[in-house]
Amino acid sequence: MLTEHERQRYDRQIMMREIGEHGQERLKRARVFIAGAGGLGSPVSLYLATAGVGMIRVVDHDSVELSNLNRQVLHWEEDIGKTKAASATEKLKRLNRAVTIEPIEEIITEANVSRLVAGFDLIVDAMDNLPTRYLLNKAAVDTNIPFFHGAVHGFEGRAMTVIPGKTACLRCVYHGVIPEEKFPVIGVTPAVIGCIQATEAIKYLVGVGELLTDKLLTYDGLRIQFTEFRVKKNPDCDHCGPLMGRGKSEHTG
Amino acid sequence: MSIRVNIHQNLRHLTNDLGMVQVNGKTVGECLNDLIAQFPRLKKYIFDKSNKLLNYVEVYVNQQSSYPDELAKPVHPGDELDITLIIAGG
Repeated sequence: MLTEHERQRYDRQIMMREIGEHGQERLKRARVFIAGAGGLGSPVSLYLATAGVGMIRVVDHDSVELSNLNRQVLHWEEDIGKTKAASATEKLKRLNRAVTIEPIEEIITEANVSRLVAGFDLIVDAMDNLPTRYLLNKAAVDTNIPFFHGAVHGFEGRAMTVIPGKTACLRCVYHGVIPEEKFPVIGVTPAVIGCIQATEAIKYLVGVGELLTDKLLTYDGLRIQFTEFRVKKNPDCDHCGPLMGRGKSEHTG
Repeated sequence: MSIRVNIHQNLRHLTNDLGMVQVNGKTVGECLNDLIAQFPRLKKYIFDKSNKLLNYVEVYVNQQSSYPDELAKPVHPGDELDITLIIAGG
């Protein structure tokens, strides 16, 4: 049940036929795992907290640096030196005190990833490197938790949604490894992609619309051009291959 | 009849900033060879030393993934190829 305060706070989205009180209650009950509190994690967590998602776990082991501030809008000048998880928690609580924010200052590893994501309704991939994205994708597939991928480089971004057991996973699409390196980016690019990831997460939680499944959406900010590439589940995928035919039967979880 | 190749942002500095190039070929591999004949500096960004596609290069034919055996996939006049590179920043 929503309180009167919540009905007022979320009035404009409860007005939406696709959301209503029922959808708002779903958001309130939701538990969301966000890997990364940087360029992508900032807009994702801000908009999920604003929308009234009940519980958000923010995982990031880094501390805020001056060079982060061109894009990581959760962190401000006064936060330099603080951990990103702590800085994110402080801002998100000030934005919406009803949302439970759980900061985790751990490096995501093969050893801890299953424990970290256990019990969550969805995983948002807001990482900055491919190896950790693969770890999260594998954990998502293994634990049957939907996975919302996003990545950026310069003026370019991409996003894709994975429903384990039903749709192509990140590993079906990405086969290679690229070296971890300092990548160029301007803040508006993760803002666009992070908002797409948050939109996907909200649609999934409420159970409306069409998800970016079996599609890789690319965004070319230089031309403001979006392209949808169709991708298929790979029967030989080393992450999701053995799971074919399994998984949740409805995308609403 | 030619095939249109859309060039990924991160490769356009190798194609005189062209975002789109016309090539000829009956397979993805032939089209990429023609593309490299026009812009030789692209080669090391697309192929490894044994002329296999680098594993962070993706090729789409009419917005459909051509994985696996990308180079052998047939193409037809009027088709559109996209060459993209995995990105991983956040």
